[in-house]
Amino acid sequence: MLNTAHLSLEQAPPISIPFRFFLTAPLFGAAAGFVLIWVGEAAMVSRWSPVVLSLTHLITLGFLTMVMCGAMMQMLPVLAGSPVPGIGPVGAVTHLALSLGTGALAYAFMQGSAGWMKLALLLLGIGISVFAIAAGLALARVKLSSPTVTGMRWSLASLVITVALWMLLSTGFFGIVALNNLPSYTDLHLGWGLLGWMGLLLIGVSYQVVPMFQITPEYPRIMRDHLTGSLFFGLFGWFLLEIGVIRGYWSTLVPGCWMLLVTAGFPLFAGTTLHIQRLRKRQVSDVTLIFWRVGLIGILFGYLVWLIGRALPEAATAPWYPLLLGTLLLFGGAFPLVNGMLYKIVPFLSWFHLQNRQLALGAFHVKLPHMKGFIGDREARLQFYLYLAALFLALAAVFRPALFTRPAGAFLVLTNLMLGYNLLRAVMRYRNTKVLLNQTESH
Amino acid sequence: MEHLLDVSTLEPFEPLELTLSATRDLSTGDYLKVVHRREPHPLFPLLEKTGFSWLCRPGGEAGFEIFIWHRGDMAAEGDVAKIS
Repeated sequence: MLNTAHLSLEQAPPISIPFRFFLTAPLFGAAAGFVLIWVGEAAMVSRWSPVVLSLTHLITLGFLTMVMCGAMMQMLPVLAGSPVPGIGPVGAVTHLALSLGTGALAYAFMQGSAGWMKLALLLLGIGISVFAIAAGLALARVKLSSPTVTGMRWSLASLVITVALWMLLSTGFFGIVALNNLPSYTDLHLGWGLLGWMGLLLIGVSYQVVPMFQITPEYPRIMRDHLTGSLFFGLFGWFLLEIGVIRGYWSTLVPGCWMLLVTAGFPLFAGTTLHIQRLRKRQVSDVTLIFWRVGLIGILFGYLVWLIGRALPEAATAPWYPLLLGTLLLFGGAFPLVNGMLYKIVPFLSWFHLQNRQLALGAFHVKLPHMKGFIGDREARLQFYLYLAALFLALAAVFRPALFTRPAGAFLVLTNLMLGYNLLRAVMRYRNTKVLLNQTESH
Repeated sequence: MEHLLDVSTLEPFEPLELTLSATRDLSTGDYLKVVHRREPHPLFPLLEKTGFSWLCRPGGEAGFEIFIWHRGDMAAEGDVAKIS
């Protein structure tokens, strides 16, 4: 349970640090849309197409990781009482390197350029290393651990493994190092990135933010205490078993069976969250809740599709299969969860910082905007409907690329631009109110 | 006189906003009873700064009850002491 005694602004970073990450993310989401519009149906040929690789990383790095890094930098001091050391330079370097590196990576895939890939390797390597070291130190120093902190620790370890695998892949992809079985290493990289870095962070953070913001009962104690650690070790077991397949020790059946057990943790989490959401005292639906419902259902459908692939190998080898799975899990699962949470985090942080500024200055005559006044409900709902259209069109495009790819791209652009606009308006509201408060100081 | 405010089903920071707003309506002799599901730590320094005294105790339907009155209002403080 969140103990608000730990809500400490004194150690929190300047609000500009997380905000720059949150405002950049929709730009990469929109960029993915533009790529889809530009390339059209050729984008949906196979999971190995350069365009799909580019699109995947625009979403996973440019949108999802961007928001997650910004959120962690804010959450560690505010929720766990452990500030990220050197947050100013760490935030600036991580943001810049992640932004430029993601752009370079997307371009490298599209152009098949080893030069741009090396640049991306360097930039992303620097950005993620700086972030991982600083966040790792903060996590190591947490005095009062919690299931959320535990989830963050496993998630960060997964990020390091994901990046290490990507560096190995890149050197193999461009012939810098002789690496056979690239598809298997790619699946490892994908698995650690999606299930480890993103999945474990989302689960860990949910333990705090779902009961806190969605007024649900707490997650079951046994889940909070054991799920993220179990999943991490499950993934590690899978990693070792896959290496065994690559080395020719045993068949793919072995890690396949193992993963049936491990991955069940994710629909278990999704189902439990849907269940506690039904038990909310206040049954008022807000935009975050409906984004989350879509995201959790997306995870459940993604898991179902994955299970079908295990049961029917001919389905798993069809070209549309990995595209469907990726679209469901990334765009139907992780994206709406992160999108929805932004609509809570940004007003929360804005109000929290302003309230503390007001307290410090004694400027109680300045009326702070209500929390709900930072982001308009109508605008947020419009952005949700644009997202929903983009999702359905993207799913349709998997099967009818000629007809649906460009419309999917267009709605992907629109939903991200709308998200960026909504967040920017909240930031401007924050800044304008801060100016009013600061005027009190100068008098 | 008691003013009752139930914020137990509200998300952060609505309880704090509504509580601060409700304190402005308190007259001499009045106290505010806030029904909350969490112990509202961010509220207390704000009450301190704006000239209010408070008592927070576990209990009630939602988990916590917070009593707030003007600092120095002995009548209100006495009423709170009787019921707590």
